[in-house]
Amino acid sequence: MPSESRTLRSSLFKRCGLIVLAVVAALWLAACTAAGPAAAPAEQPAAEAPAQTSAGEAAQPEEVTRENTLIYSGDATDLITLDPAVVYEFSGIQVAGSIYETLVSFDPGQPGIKPLLAESWEVVDSGDMWTLTFKLNPKATFASGNPVTADDVVYSWGRAIDINKSPAFLLIDVAQLTKENMTAVDAQTVEVKLPKTVSPQVFLSVLTFTTAAVVEKAVVEANLGSDMGESWLNDHSAGSGPYVLDAWERSVQVTLNANPNYWGKAPAMKRIIIQNVTELANLQALIETGDADIVKDLGAEQAAALEGNPDVQLVKGQSTLLIYVGMNVLKPPLDKAEAREAIRYAINYDDITTLLAGNGQVVQEIIPAGFLGHTGETYFAQDLDKARDLLAQAGVSEGTELDLLIPVGPAPGGLEWSVIAAKLQSDLAQIGLTVNIQQTQQSELLNIYRAQEGQMVLINWGPDFPDPDGNVTPFTNYEAKSIAWRNGWDNPEIAELGKQAAIELDEAARTELYAQIEERVAHEGPYIMLYQPLRTYGLRSNVTGFVFDPVDTPNITFANISK
Amino acid sequence: MLRFVVRRIAGLILVMAGVSIITFVLAHLVPVDPAAAALGQNARDEQIAAYRQQLGLDRPVAEQYLTYVGRLLRGDLGTSIRTRRPVADDLLDFLPATLELSLAALLVALCFGIPLGMAAALRRNSWVDAFVRLLALAGGSMPIFYLGLLLIGLFYRQLRWLPGPGRLDSTLNPPTAITGMYTVDALLTGNWAVLQDSLTHLILPAITLGYFSTAVLLRMTRSAMLEVLSQDYIRTARAKGLARPVVITRHALRNALPPILTTIGVTFGSLLSGAVLTETIFNWPGLGRYATTSVTSLDFPAVMGVTLVAAIVYPLVNTLVDIAYSLVDPRIRIQ
Repeated sequence: MPSESRTLRSSLFKRCGLIVLAVVAALWLAACTAAGPAAAPAEQPAAEAPAQTSAGEAAQPEEVTRENTLIYSGDATDLITLDPAVVYEFSGIQVAGSIYETLVSFDPGQPGIKPLLAESWEVVDSGDMWTLTFKLNPKATFASGNPVTADDVVYSWGRAIDINKSPAFLLIDVAQLTKENMTAVDAQTVEVKLPKTVSPQVFLSVLTFTTAAVVEKAVVEANLGSDMGESWLNDHSAGSGPYVLDAWERSVQVTLNANPNYWGKAPAMKRIIIQNVTELANLQALIETGDADIVKDLGAEQAAALEGNPDVQLVKGQSTLLIYVGMNVLKPPLDKAEAREAIRYAINYDDITTLLAGNGQVVQEIIPAGFLGHTGETYFAQDLDKARDLLAQAGVSEGTELDLLIPVGPAPGGLEWSVIAAKLQSDLAQIGLTVNIQQTQQSELLNIYRAQEGQMVLINWGPDFPDPDGNVTPFTNYEAKSIAWRNGWDNPEIAELGKQAAIELDEAARTELYAQIEERVAHEGPYIMLYQPLRTYGLRSNVTGFVFDPVDTPNITFANISK
Repeated sequence: MLRFVVRRIAGLILVMAGVSIITFVLAHLVPVDPAAAALGQNARDEQIAAYRQQLGLDRPVAEQYLTYVGRLLRGDLGTSIRTRRPVADDLLDFLPATLELSLAALLVALCFGIPLGMAAALRRNSWVDAFVRLLALAGGSMPIFYLGLLLIGLFYRQLRWLPGPGRLDSTLNPPTAITGMYTVDALLTGNWAVLQDSLTHLILPAITLGYFSTAVLLRMTRSAMLEVLSQDYIRTARAKGLARPVVITRHALRNALPPILTTIGVTFGSLLSGAVLTETIFNWPGLGRYATTSVTSLDFPAVMGVTLVAAIVYPLVNTLVDIAYSLVDPRIRIQ
């Protein structure tokens, strides 16, 4: 072997060794200099020239520091789009709802719909139609500084209808909006003609949702690409809300900056970082150390560990989910109303409250707490004698077997699905029913459920839009091919009541109709309604203005938070 | 050498074809509709049918496979059902994070495994040897998730010496993407704040992931060194009066290297799979976490993308190790 190549190689080895040494040294140096997590001041937001500031206000963006940055951590794995016309996931709605605005909105924590981009609106009965006229707030501007016009509104709604992704049915089916029945009368006026099959109240509720948010037509049109601007809007924003999109690092975080041209009250937090953290132990560590200001959906264990920590406040938020068992009427003995009623009377609901340990409340109706029409009634309390009588009336013999299909993992509220199932199993054993629990992936379970193949299915449901009809139609209307259909339960009379209630304008009459429906479904329907979970947020003690409103879109209004 | 590389690449293509068929068939054996899974339980039947059609799931499996391979040959890995982005884009986003972590872990294994293994061999049966062997035993038996939680608990939550989960402090902007590895990109662009922060973020996950490999490498180095040290030529070299460091590095270590290199190759492969757990614990946005989320949401274009990447990496590393053999030991010729 020539010695030349040997020296070459050995010097190569030496050089490699040197590089390794250098890297190790760098690692050590870095480790020593970093005393604690870097609290380096964040870079200033891209200082765009503030366009057209109204009334000569100097929109000088305040420097972004850790103090005026809000770090919000939690599981944001569901984030797949930030385009308001497409977004239909909890995290996405939270982000898009902070960038874009709708004509009307809910007041966080308050009942009733309030003006947002529309300063006023009018509902007129014009014979076979409702005519809704919205007057836009003349002060409303986009982040670009341009005014929000009726043309932008009509364009945005039409765009969502054309794109026709997950949430589009809210506009198309629920609100029955078409490109033909909406017009921009003038720059400030939008007119919508609604068929009488939809209630103006439901229409307004749908309008609070991100799908009906307004994008700046000129900006989106300039960046349409091949997908109507959908992918462009994942990395840029064109809204009128208090925040603008700075960056979305996939699967890591979304950074929002305060909109320097915001037409409403300037938000206290100049930057919002929505960080994707999936491990509960990490969420606990982040809020303990103060590296996050708000953490969402803590588990029961973490909440208990943080209890009494002076730096952290725990806030419970009501979710709109309901956990229930569907009893398939097509599968005997569940075809007999008495058998289903017997099962409902066999369950010890107090034990479920105990199991939830403060992370949820027993709800025995199909409309969740927080919604109009929720009665708060206790229709059932465990009564084993009554249950056995009912079972005998139905002719169900002792030892009858029932299959209960349940998902794997934890249910909303932190309880394992299997724990709830075991509870139901032991309760039903007391009236002589044998429950076979079958656990499967939620996606597979849904396949079976959708095909009307489950006998008993333990699962949760959340309404598509913040109105009681978001639950009543799926739970009562067989033709809607949703929950009632999945359980083979067809009761046209109750479905008709549901349709009436959906379009009833008078709030008192509507509440009354829902009370009737609730009671009838509780006893005649194919459901065991179990509970409504609570979600736990951890906040640093200096955070104020945090309100979680399950009805509002988004659920948390970042612009109201300060610290 | 060239012929060797060409043959290896040909083998790689075969491996990939096999892997693509197996993953494709497996994905289609799962009795669940990924379109329905992606759209959630509130989706209407028409929506699911439309999405199935858009994804081509309504066509026969054989046709779907041919379409898939056809696209693959054009470098198109398909579109993720969950993220709705091209799988290639997703992989490009997440692979560098995993590579960076795995390389850092490998560095940990090299920097600690080899020197400690050598020290143990040179001071056989001393307290150094006992200590090193204890370290190896612990490394081999401690589960990754336990070590990870322990390190986070101690160095982040208690002592606050090192930053917590993630690749970078959330208030910092990532460096301009060149390789996608934050440390390298920060170095290349001279972004010192990010370099320092990303390095400190790397320490705990790299140790967590690298500890097991350190233990393996350490044991291999120790036994290989012990064997070489007992050879006649070492005694001869010492007898010639060569300096001790020269004997150890030039004569002993050099000859002990081939088995160590094999171990490094195998270890690197296991680092990539071990990254799944480490990434979950340290909230590291890498391929492992992407793979787990994709599997649980039945996103099989994504799963197949990840599998193909893994299928490339293993043979690639093995080839590199084979080439390295010939550099280290001229008696080995690759043909």
